[in-house]
Amino acid sequence: MSVASKTNWADDVEDHQEFPSIEVISNADGTKTVVEHRLNEDGKRVRVTRKIQEKLVQEHVNRAVAERKKWAKFGELRSDGTMKANGGVATTIGEVVELRLSQYAAQMKQQEIDAAEAEKANAVKSSKILCRVCRGEHFTAKCPYKDTMTSAEDILGGGASAAAPAGAEDAKGGPNAYVPPHMRAGAKAFGAAGGRAGSLGAGDARGDRRDEHPTIRITNLSEDTLEADVNQLCRPFGPLARVFVATDRGTGYCKGFAFVSYYDHDSAEKAIAKLNGHGFDNLILSADWANGGK
Amino acid sequence: MRPLLLQGHERPLTQIKYNRDGDLLMTVSKDKVANLWYSHNGEHIGCYIGHLGALWTIDCNKTSTLVITGAADNTARLWHAETGRMLHTWELPTAVKRVEFSNDDQYVLMVTEERMGHKSGIYVFAIDISRPEQSNEPVVILRASGAKPTVAAWSFLDRFIVSGHEDGSLSLYDWRNEEVVNTAKAHNGIITDLQMWKDGTYFITSSRDMTARLFETATLNALKEYKTDAPLNTATMTPTQDLVILGGGQAASEVTTTSSRQGKFESRFFHKIFEDEVGRSRGHFGPINTLAVQPDGKGFASGGEDGLVRVHHFDPDYFKFKYDY
Repeated sequence: MSVASKTNWADDVEDHQEFPSIEVISNADGTKTVVEHRLNEDGKRVRVTRKIQEKLVQEHVNRAVAERKKWAKFGELRSDGTMKANGGVATTIGEVVELRLSQYAAQMKQQEIDAAEAEKANAVKSSKILCRVCRGEHFTAKCPYKDTMTSAEDILGGGASAAAPAGAEDAKGGPNAYVPPHMRAGAKAFGAAGGRAGSLGAGDARGDRRDEHPTIRITNLSEDTLEADVNQLCRPFGPLARVFVATDRGTGYCKGFAFVSYYDHDSAEKAIAKLNGHGFDNLILSADWANGGK
Repeated sequence: MRPLLLQGHERPLTQIKYNRDGDLLMTVSKDKVANLWYSHNGEHIGCYIGHLGALWTIDCNKTSTLVITGAADNTARLWHAETGRMLHTWELPTAVKRVEFSNDDQYVLMVTEERMGHKSGIYVFAIDISRPEQSNEPVVILRASGAKPTVAAWSFLDRFIVSGHEDGSLSLYDWRNEEVVNTAKAHNGIITDLQMWKDGTYFITSSRDMTARLFETATLNALKEYKTDAPLNTATMTPTQDLVILGGGQAASEVTTTSSRQGKFESRFFHKIFEDEVGRSRGHFGPINTLAVQPDGKGFASGGEDGLVRVHHFDPDYFKFKYDY
């Protein structure tokens, strides 16, 4: 017991109270019960009863290793005369450390880093950086829509350019940029072309990717042409991303032109080659790239 | 894993090493004393006392009867492993940064520091196990033409000596003929550790340039590269699983300016072949200076700048780990 820590002489008396020696009882099932009396941290006498089971684990080592297990301790006295064993050397059992090996450890770490970076980016966002092209949170010079969007702005004209142009912005959801429904990217394009927004729900959903699809323009369509007709006409050249037939808002008749987007460039090229000069509803169609041959 | 913490050093660890059977662990630190421990329970066996300067390196022979230490007091000393008795002292011109017994225990190499006008070099001494006194005449002295060597190791069959240099280059010496057979640029920073695979055909290097690399000994061809985000002090390979363990962290001088979480003081496990990080083990409060794997692959030990040695015995999970490919 910690005799050294006792400062009060009166405590000495208690110390002389003899604890019963440790009692070991062998149980029938091979376990042992150890009963021990000692002082706890508060200085109170406690009885500790432990039930232990001894298990002999045999380990085979080679002869040299077994010999080395008998090595005597050496070199305890340091050069400065202190006993190293009492002062410096200690072996303790540390806290449990986890080592979970996973082949995705690196990816998980990467995600953590990404999350941290996103947080950092959010902090930067509060500063007022606004792209003039897409109203995104970056400098105009670094805008990914720099090339595609300026042309769109020109087409849409002055009124539309005041509104945020691209669907890209909707996807990003800028913090303080509310855009009324009729001025949002999808609706605006249709409005400018004079079409009914409702007629092209499918195209609308993909509005933010519109610029990426190769688009052809078909002109000299008859008044009776419907979207389904154009669909049927253009379908054979490849899968269609979007079909838009310009209609007069008042009468609902076709205004004579349509835009068709394909998923791949080759189909669009094929369609132009075939449809340009093709007869349809008593009229000779002409087809070309929608954005001036890009 | 519940590591054993061995507190026997007051200053940063410089090297730890298991003996060939893996039952003994030798540790050296900058506090002039080399310690010997049982690796399975961390029991202290003794210390080798006599050096007057910081210890840099330790090695023992294959039968674990002799121990050699190299220190900053410009000596390397030979010890009787069991009793801690000093048998011989080699006086060298400068500090000894790395010692290693050859595979046949006939020779020992010593890498010396470049200091006080003395050129650095790799000294090879013959070891006579029949008597304590050893020859003070080196068999050969290999002088590097470029930057000073920092680490060196024996190759397969002791045919070559590989050395890693301060400028990140590697040299392959045909040491008997004292000629450089091959050189290669391995790293962009100082090579901090070089550990041979058990058969000596390839080895791993670690560098302050935050990478560790695997090289074929005979050709010095780079085989693999492990990229981390912290300067590395040490790298080692595990025998049962195809893993490498890397240790490092920020330079000791910068440690006080960052929290231990940012300091990257973890042992990192990488897949040896696919070069992916597969896990980490935490624990040290400072950079990890040295790592060693138990030769049977059942555990590893790390020594840190914090003066602690942590001896880990792998959990059963570790041996079940499989990499899908």
